[in-house]
Amino acid sequence: MDMTTGQFLSSGWNWNPLVVAACFVTAYLYGLACHWKFRRKSFFFLAGLVVFFLALASPLDLLARGVLFSAHMFQHLLLVLIVPPLLLLGLPVLGDHIHIRGGVLPWGSHPLVAWFSGVGAMWFWHVPAFCNAAATNGPAHALQTLSLLFLGALFWQPLVGPRMEQRLSPLVGIPYLFSACIACSLLGIWISFAPLGVCPVFMNPVDKLDLLPMIRGWGVTPAADQQIGGLLMWVPACLVYLGAILGLLGRFYRRPEKEMEKKNAWRK
Amino acid sequence: MTETSSGPPSFEIFHARKAGNGFFEWVATVDHKRIGILYLLTAFFFFGVGGLEALVMRLQLARPNNTLLSPDAYNQLFTMHGTTMIFLVVMPTLIGLANYFVPLMIGARDMAFPRLNAMGYWFLPFGGLLLHFSFLAGGAPSVGWFSYAPLSETPFASSPGVDYWILALFALGIGSISASINLIATVLALRAPGMSIRRLPLFVWMVFVNSFLLILALPALNAAIIMLFIDRQLDAHFFLPTHGGSALLWQHFFWTFGHPEVYIMVLPAFGIISEVIPVFARKPIFGYEFVAGSTVAIAILSFGVWAHHMFAVGLGQPMNLFFAASSMMIAVPTGVKVFNWSATLWGGSIRLTTSMLFAVAFLLQFTLGGLSGITFAVVPIDWQVTDTYYLVAHFHYVLFGGSLFGVFAGIYYWFPKMSGRLLSESVGRIHFWLTVIGFNMAFFVQHFLGLMGMTRRVYTYPDLPGWGLLNLISTVGAFLLGFSVLVLVWNIVVSLRRGAAAGDNPWNAWTLEWATSSPPVEQNFDRLPPIRGRRPLWDLAHPENQDEPETSLEKNEGNRINKNQVSMMCFIASEAFFFIMLLIAYIFYNFSQHPNPGAQLLNPLRTGIFTLCLLASSFTYWRAEKRLESQDPTGFLFWLAATLVLGAVFLTGQGLEYFELFQKGLRAGTDLFSASFFMVTGLHGLHVLIGLAGLFIVLAMALAGDFKAGKIAAVKTMGLYWHFVDVVWIAVFTTIYLVGLWT
Repeated sequence: MDMTTGQFLSSGWNWNPLVVAACFVTAYLYGLACHWKFRRKSFFFLAGLVVFFLALASPLDLLARGVLFSAHMFQHLLLVLIVPPLLLLGLPVLGDHIHIRGGVLPWGSHPLVAWFSGVGAMWFWHVPAFCNAAATNGPAHALQTLSLLFLGALFWQPLVGPRMEQRLSPLVGIPYLFSACIACSLLGIWISFAPLGVCPVFMNPVDKLDLLPMIRGWGVTPAADQQIGGLLMWVPACLVYLGAILGLLGRFYRRPEKEMEKKNAWRK
Repeated sequence: MTETSSGPPSFEIFHARKAGNGFFEWVATVDHKRIGILYLLTAFFFFGVGGLEALVMRLQLARPNNTLLSPDAYNQLFTMHGTTMIFLVVMPTLIGLANYFVPLMIGARDMAFPRLNAMGYWFLPFGGLLLHFSFLAGGAPSVGWFSYAPLSETPFASSPGVDYWILALFALGIGSISASINLIATVLALRAPGMSIRRLPLFVWMVFVNSFLLILALPALNAAIIMLFIDRQLDAHFFLPTHGGSALLWQHFFWTFGHPEVYIMVLPAFGIISEVIPVFARKPIFGYEFVAGSTVAIAILSFGVWAHHMFAVGLGQPMNLFFAASSMMIAVPTGVKVFNWSATLWGGSIRLTTSMLFAVAFLLQFTLGGLSGITFAVVPIDWQVTDTYYLVAHFHYVLFGGSLFGVFAGIYYWFPKMSGRLLSESVGRIHFWLTVIGFNMAFFVQHFLGLMGMTRRVYTYPDLPGWGLLNLISTVGAFLLGFSVLVLVWNIVVSLRRGAAAGDNPWNAWTLEWATSSPPVEQNFDRLPPIRGRRPLWDLAHPENQDEPETSLEKNEGNRINKNQVSMMCFIASEAFFFIMLLIAYIFYNFSQHPNPGAQLLNPLRTGIFTLCLLASSFTYWRAEKRLESQDPTGFLFWLAATLVLGAVFLTGQGLEYFELFQKGLRAGTDLFSASFFMVTGLHGLHVLIGLAGLFIVLAMALAGDFKAGKIAAVKTMGLYWHFVDVVWIAVFTTIYLVGLWT
């Protein structure tokens, strides 16, 4: 019997023990690290964990695994654009009272490496073969998730990372974000306009749970599905970058320029 | 800096520079103030031309079934009116004001590159001439200012009008991009000590942001018109659906440029308003950070909403949905600005000078235009009213009621600085009221006409109930508007001869341009006041009540960054966008065809070897730089020559490839593969050629001993360009020869 949307939303949760455990362990470690003293920042960290959990345990994940391309794209964007910056924002600024050795790899702090990590993560996982694999194969999906989180963290580290001295000056951060927005728009435009089958598996979904009748009932055809996927990467993803740019401007107008000029990347 | 009480001699505006005042001094000038005035005068001339075109159209539309104009003459008029007003009036006016006032407002001596500045200006009359020459060459373009394909293709527009339109836009684009790069370099490199970016006057900030918008948006237009030109001149079929081309791609490319263009025409006007309102409300701007930040938001969002011009095309439900949402979103930062201006007015002691009147009218009219704009974001409404007079009313409220009212406010505000004399306030008021009444008469009724179903770009209309009357009202309003321009001219001419002396600072304003004489001396400032906040002249007059507390004093040394390198980076960004558009076109035309027709013709291996030569040339150039740094002129010359040879080898390889393809009978017009292949590789080859010319210049400079003193900025700047050309080739090679042939 076909599932109704309501049934799907209530029963489509997947309590993957690894995801649940990852959430709890991370939260526990975070608590330990800041001596269970929660500050405003901690909400960012918790929000990051919640989004992480929703992306991987909610019905979204079920759809992303080979059923709905747009769901895959939404999950992809959450993991690379939302979770990493939230977690990073939640970390205490280094030199505060805890020390995270290295944070991320030392070479990862170079803005060019960081930029290509973030943009590369978007492009790499939409090469048809890789996209297919991640949607159908469990280990490949796990690998995708981990790499998105890691590369996303690399990308956001120069902007919201815990090490102040590694952060880009706001006026350099704006082109950094804007060019990333262009790069991911181009991918989104390609997906939106390309012939059907950017990620071929979604053309003929492996529909073990018989979800397709419900989805077609929403009015989502495979063509619309791919277009929505592309548009998600094109428009809302850029809004995330734009939001970050506005955040940087806010920071720019709050901080004395002296500090910024010292780190101005234009100057050798 | 002293001002005599008798005022400056008549027509002081033409004496901005003391050294000579003949015709030749004006033609040969590189002074930013003179160039600014030249921009304004040229734009004003074309304002007259475009205005007359509009009046003739309104005469034709004054009554139903009128036969004053033939349909074709009408088509030519609305095309020329739109193109003229956008590219020859609004843009150059705003660039002209920026040219005059940006250096003054940041306390600089001139623009960063005065000669480039003059070149940018001279492209304006050149482009204007090219465009209007079409009248003599067989008829002006008659396909609308956005030249929708396939109407603009040879089968439907056989007269050379469209070709002149393309060339004119290309020439004007070069001028605009050079002016923008110049403005960016000026703001980044030439600010006076203390003038930090956070203290930039909002006009300067908005011109600065706008310049980025220009250099990134114009390449999309350039790519589109080059493709159209190839279609028309070399018989290709990029936009001809009958031969497999895509008319839709033209729309996408055009509006990728076209929507940012709307903001290009209004952001500097926002800047003027943000200067005028605080001065005449006697309050600092409310929420400086929000006005500045929302400008950035508008600029970025403007790149992501173009598809709302294409709702009627049938892009599909998801597309319409996302772009409806993003288009509505752009109203938010614009609304933020309107609130900030209103809040600045709130509780101020308002002086309703003519400038302020125009600013207030701007607020009301622009808001109205913005609101009708939001209705276009609602897809079903858009379907109903797109390409009706409702749309005509909307964009005239934005561009005339908004941009041009902003310009008028700026003219009344800054005229005393440019000429040393005040414009007459009483005549100014007449001008203002005539403009307001004429403008609203002409365009407000058009909302109704549009809702009643009158489509734009029709040369006449049937005698339907109400249409004749509303059109007549609109025509009368247009003539009032035309008359109001004469009043402005009269005011300017009379005030130049007999206007009251302005003094340095007639409005008691706070920004730096008011700290020098009126008109400013050739070097702009004899002595700069200390800059300790956003309103240096306020701080100077009220040492006890400064904007920023003494303790937060931002130490800010003058020169910051290398203007050569930053301008080259901007140029590269612009060029990168251009090549991205070209590659998108290539992918669009070739990647959906299987098998790829180019696969049998191209020789990836051989081209790969030539590619290695080009890549090696980047390496040799880097070596050359290193040799120069370690003061080894011989080594430098060796590596530089090697770079030249490798670049030439690459070009030879490309020539070889072209020769073989020609032998096989391939021409630009053969099919879409050949057209896009020759376009992308040919334009890249052209850039390599320009790069080689640049390298030759560096070589000549080296032989002349220019780099002995360790002055290597030119070498580094040239290097940026050369490496960029190589990087572009990597993208082109990957797209055409690697991915393109093996998918």
